[in-house]
Amino acid sequence: MEEYIQKFSNKVIAAIENLPKREISKALNILQAVYERDGRIYVFGNGGSLALATHWVSDFNKTVFSHHLSKTVRRFQAIRLPTTEEELTAWANDVGFEMVFAGPLQNYLQDSDVVIAISSSGQSPNVIKAVELAKKNKIPIIGLSGFDGGKLNTLADAKIFVSTEKGEYEIVEGVHAVILHMLTKYFQDYFDHLE
Amino acid sequence: MILARAPMRISFVGGGTDLPDFYRRSPGRVISTAINQFVSIVVHRTPYVDKISARYSLSETVDRPHDLEHPIIRAALLDLGINKGIEIASFGSLSAKMGLGSSSSFSVALLKGLHAFQGKKLDRAEVAEAACRLEIDLLNQPIGKQDQYAAAFGGFNIFQFNPDGTVDVEPILLDYQKRSALEKHILLFFTGLTRSAAAVLSEQRSNIDAKFGTLQKMAESVYEFKEQLLKGNWPVLGAMLHEGWQQKRSLASTISNSVIDQLYLKGMEAGAWGGKVLGAGGGGCVMFLADPERQEYIKQAVSVVARDNHLEDFRHISVKFVQSGAEVLFNGDGHFNSHLI
Repeated sequence: MEEYIQKFSNKVIAAIENLPKREISKALNILQAVYERDGRIYVFGNGGSLALATHWVSDFNKTVFSHHLSKTVRRFQAIRLPTTEEELTAWANDVGFEMVFAGPLQNYLQDSDVVIAISSSGQSPNVIKAVELAKKNKIPIIGLSGFDGGKLNTLADAKIFVSTEKGEYEIVEGVHAVILHMLTKYFQDYFDHLE
Repeated sequence: MILARAPMRISFVGGGTDLPDFYRRSPGRVISTAINQFVSIVVHRTPYVDKISARYSLSETVDRPHDLEHPIIRAALLDLGINKGIEIASFGSLSAKMGLGSSSSFSVALLKGLHAFQGKKLDRAEVAEAACRLEIDLLNQPIGKQDQYAAAFGGFNIFQFNPDGTVDVEPILLDYQKRSALEKHILLFFTGLTRSAAAVLSEQRSNIDAKFGTLQKMAESVYEFKEQLLKGNWPVLGAMLHEGWQQKRSLASTISNSVIDQLYLKGMEAGAWGGKVLGAGGGGCVMFLADPERQEYIKQAVSVVARDNHLEDFRHISVKFVQSGAEVLFNGDGHFNSHLI
């Protein structure tokens, strides 16, 4: 049993040791710029990645400012897409599952915004569709991918690629969660430092 | 209505190596950062008024773009084929000709706005190149490319100007602690003297052959500057600025003058580690790198020189770095122009 646990841990450790630090730094700069211009951040993904997106939105909108909730007027505006289950099912049922992110993104997207796309394979057609919409509109893209990075890693401006064997969702999603928490922690420290 | 903006910049080392007479023969390099001072442009559609209006320090309303006085707006409209039904207004948080690259910030913000007006979106590299083309190719200004790139990209970067005309952009990824430490060590003064970059650069350009080796050293020094910056080695960075400024002064007789020399010397005597004049020279801003503990003393010493020389507009400018580059902050035409899936 312990041997099994150790093997799993070793994979996670290897992925953590090879974090794409430069690309994560670029993502931090993209988020800094969107804060400066008061733009919005749209986050999306499928299954566990959608859960990561929702979790991160909460952290980024609130936890980042937790120590200054009565002081900091301008906060991040992170939005999980789609914002309602009704939109998710309406787009999926009426138009097609590949439109569940791109469809709602179209409603919101403005020139001052950015997107964060999360896909372990980097190939999810619905994620790629929304990323292509952002790309067409010259919107900065932060892409969190795994396996071999897929199309998402090619299209992203900040290529946060966690390299693993194909199908190792549990490693990729775990490390994505660590990276997303790091983005949160960085800005929490940043706003603490400004006070 | 469309609102676009682009930041001004401060450059540290390598200025002057972005001139084509140099980089066509040997790669030029500049390290610079965008600052929290912006040029903003508002573009407004007037479908039932067949005129062109431009509002800056003057206000013009004309029938054809050709009749506009403002050379940059005129050239941009002619080039983009915008003939009527438009109002353009510009706003700057600091005045022009201060050595902070505002002229190119203006071009970059203008082009970002005018393209949005036409339903076209430009990324950072595209708007940088469009502004270079406008200022250098269409308007024949004897300037380099660093300001257009700094305004378009935002943040802290090394720009490399390649002999084939392409530009490589290497972001310097400083965390907030390093950024804020550098901000605290910078002391920036507007001298109160303004100059047009073009006059100084014309002389500098004609001296490129004689100063080729100096320019190569300046282009090379950006890497060392970056290393020291990542280490937060402020006194060494100050010394590098000082050396770069001495090299730059030697490039053309008009880069410095006796008032600037006095201001600079006084700041150094008062304990600055080093510094430089920002922009093409002949006026603009003087920047020092100094221990925060010494800054009040330096401020006072330099202010005395300014008073003695009757520099009425002399002032200290507090600088913060920004990650923002050229951006459209608001696009009321967006729903017509957005690119669908």
